[in-house]
Amino acid sequence: MIDFAYGLLPHILNGLALGLLFALLALGFMLIINVMEVINLAHGSLFGLGAYMALVFLAPDGGLPFEFMEPFYALPVAPRYVIALIFGPLAVAGVGMGLELCLRRTYGMDPLYGLLLTFGAAMVLEELIREIWGPAEYFLPIPRGISGGFIFGDLIYSTYRIYAAVFSIGMIGLLWLFLEKTPYGAIIKAGAHDSEMVRALGYNLRRLRLYVFGFGAALAAIAGIIMAPIWGVRPHVGIDAVIPAFVVVVMGGVGSFWGAVSAGVMVGMVVALTAAFLTEWSLLSMYLLLLLVVTLRPRGFAGRASVLER
Amino acid sequence: MPIFEAQNLHKRFGDQVVLEDISLSFEANRLAGIMGPNGAGKTTCFNVLTGRYKPDRGRVRFQGKDITGWPPRSIARLGIARSFQTMSLFDEYTALENVLIAVPEVRALGFHGLRDLGAESQSIDKASEVLRRVGLAGLEYKPASSLPYGQRRALEIAIALAAEPKLLFLDEPTSGLGSDATARLADLIRAIRQDLTIVVIEHDMRFLFGLADTISVIHWGQVIAQGTPEELRANKWVQASNLGALA
Amino acid sequence: MDRLGARLRAWVTGPMLLSLAVFGTLPLWIEQIGLYQYLGVEIIIWVIFALAVNLLLGYTGLPPFGHGAFLGIGAYAFGLTQFNVIDNLWISLIGAVVVTGAIGGVTALFLSHRRGIYFALMTIAFAQIFFFIASKWSNVTGGEDGLLNIARLPADFGVAAFDLSSNIELYYFCFAVYTVLVVLLWRLVHSPFGKVVRAIKQNESRVSFVGYNVYLYKWVVFTLSCAISGLAGALFAMAQEGAYIQIMSLQWSGIVILMILIGGGFVSFWGPVLGVGLYFIARDILGAYTEAWLLWFGLMFVILVMFKPEGLAGIWQDLTRRFEARGPRKRVNLGTVLRR
Repeated sequence: MIDFAYGLLPHILNGLALGLLFALLALGFMLIINVMEVINLAHGSLFGLGAYMALVFLAPDGGLPFEFMEPFYALPVAPRYVIALIFGPLAVAGVGMGLELCLRRTYGMDPLYGLLLTFGAAMVLEELIREIWGPAEYFLPIPRGISGGFIFGDLIYSTYRIYAAVFSIGMIGLLWLFLEKTPYGAIIKAGAHDSEMVRALGYNLRRLRLYVFGFGAALAAIAGIIMAPIWGVRPHVGIDAVIPAFVVVVMGGVGSFWGAVSAGVMVGMVVALTAAFLTEWSLLSMYLLLLLVVTLRPRGFAGRASVLER
Repeated sequence: MPIFEAQNLHKRFGDQVVLEDISLSFEANRLAGIMGPNGAGKTTCFNVLTGRYKPDRGRVRFQGKDITGWPPRSIARLGIARSFQTMSLFDEYTALENVLIAVPEVRALGFHGLRDLGAESQSIDKASEVLRRVGLAGLEYKPASSLPYGQRRALEIAIALAAEPKLLFLDEPTSGLGSDATARLADLIRAIRQDLTIVVIEHDMRFLFGLADTISVIHWGQVIAQGTPEELRANKWVQASNLGALA
Repeated sequence: MDRLGARLRAWVTGPMLLSLAVFGTLPLWIEQIGLYQYLGVEIIIWVIFALAVNLLLGYTGLPPFGHGAFLGIGAYAFGLTQFNVIDNLWISLIGAVVVTGAIGGVTALFLSHRRGIYFALMTIAFAQIFFFIASKWSNVTGGEDGLLNIARLPADFGVAAFDLSSNIELYYFCFAVYTVLVVLLWRLVHSPFGKVVRAIKQNESRVSFVGYNVYLYKWVVFTLSCAISGLAGALFAMAQEGAYIQIMSLQWSGIVILMILIGGGFVSFWGPVLGVGLYFIARDILGAYTEAWLLWFGLMFVILVMFKPEGLAGIWQDLTRRFEARGPRKRVNLGTVLRR
């Protein structure tokens, strides 16, 4: 029995890494919901786009045929990786802001149209990716230092998973500090509850929404880049990413930072442990979890009906 | 025996108690008012009475039958109808279609997948009649979204009336109406109150005092006063709380 | 005479006859414009599927993002009935409809209390689950390879039998199915049931307060939509002479949503028909010039959602309204209102 539990440790690590990434993804998703009351179905595609942006910096064969980038590709992987981690999310943030501009047209309409717009945007993004990079799956090169595995107490652990977990913890921590300790974070949190007050204080609500959408998109992209070596880089990874984000937000509660983090870790554990025992079922476990969570969740009652209810 | 009774209703949201031990009863064919400041719990009370929320404790009875916790659709089928303060119309539908859907004969046809509704002349006549009573004659084929506010208010009530209820709940029906429209609304209510029990939530005290047989005042989640308009004018709570002056 | 006219107009309309004329003559002219007969078969099957999906999207206001799964279930059910029960066309079609309707009915139990994002994501979850089952249960479904050798069974009416093996013959059978379905569906959406469903789209809460069991209505619409999708799936199995998992992918489910909105399913019964037609024009005509035709189709969708969610049918209605405004005033009566 102890051996069995012991043997699970690498999988638990995987679950932790995956879960923290899900949490990061979900936090970006949640920020957008909170400030703009929009369920961004394209969040997963932005996640995927992040990985492809990283590909541009890291893989000359999978990236774009930009000859002027030749000297850049001559650099070792590690600095290029860092650059990818900075500029990839920035590029995706731009795309996210573009999406928000499109969404503005639907704000007064039946929420169904906003949903359809982000759905359409997701499809367009994925088709765009397919057009530019092709339908094949890519492998994202990562610096030697964080790849491979190591042995600890008779078990093999993936170095990358540890890196992913630590990086995610760092990002989540930074995000928390940003939201709690900076004035911008305070505005974002206020914008969630009281757009009137935010406007009264002189802040431009439209600009706020634009930046928050971009910010959420950047978070998705970062998660996408870190997740790429685990899930692979393929055009239709979008839906596989939106589902856990949604499950996490429903489980953790819309608006709860640590709720999202703990729910994220839980979902990651479920997926990773399923992968340990029934490999083929691991992605499916997310969908089953969604059904379970939505079916069992308490119905919204008045006072604080969340935007998800509309 | 009162046609409608609520006993010891208790309702909380999260850790906030919104209704505390509320008991109300309404006599048949009378017009009862419910009054109180914002946030007092009267809207929640209304929602519990009409089935939108389930009370944590307490019972609701209609014609002797216990309907506590029944879903809105079942309550509606017993003959209870309500209108909404924030208007709840079918915006793409014409005024006639809005009302037609509430007519009991049409409701009975509900799952009929092949019939032509245009052939149901009796129901259509009933719907047109309801529209006429609320002052919307001639506007049958106008889309609800194109009607001005006052007419939308009338339509809001028309839908509830079309269901031929025994008990009609009106949720702040004068909301947003000017004095002319409010007067017309008062006339309408006088015209329909004959065979109907009506319960009205209102802010406009003049309106309520002019129409109601009895009024309950809800404040801080409790019924703090109850009685005829005359009795209430003398009530110190009503005078003390900022419910406005009466002409 | 006018009564007869009114009663007839309740069942059959101008646009309906036009669609029957266009589809009825399609095999005669499709090759003249440089296309091919099999395309006609594809188009008419997708039209049936899109009409079924629009019952949910355009009429009830519920967005099903995973309905392709039911198309696939219908195809597999058709093949399996054909192989394991009896190779009779009617029995196999019934098998497809009943099985897909039943699975749809069970799915609908989870969905009928939802709308909006919850509904959408749950349909996606179910679609992925069904896709997974179809690809893993290889004994039954043939897994990744699919269920092969599904035959285009002859249509035996007792007094006469029609061989359906050629594309044109199969097309006319599908067209016959379309004709029956389109008349019944038109009547359905304009019946009391249809009126309640459309009211649910506009204001679900009020419909409930007026005394209707909204969940039951949503359940019925979803199950019916699945049953018809199963029928389309069966026809598709005959067309392809096999049942494959590709059709159950989310991409196809998404494409039908694009088709419906672009065509104008939110404002017109015929929106889905227009949308399907436009999709195939994009695929086969635009596709000859660029590989990115689906991207353009998707962009068109996004732009329409932003600026004209009423789609092509909506644009058409605007134009004809402007035209009518200049012409003699059309009599607005109950009939015209109830037949929108």
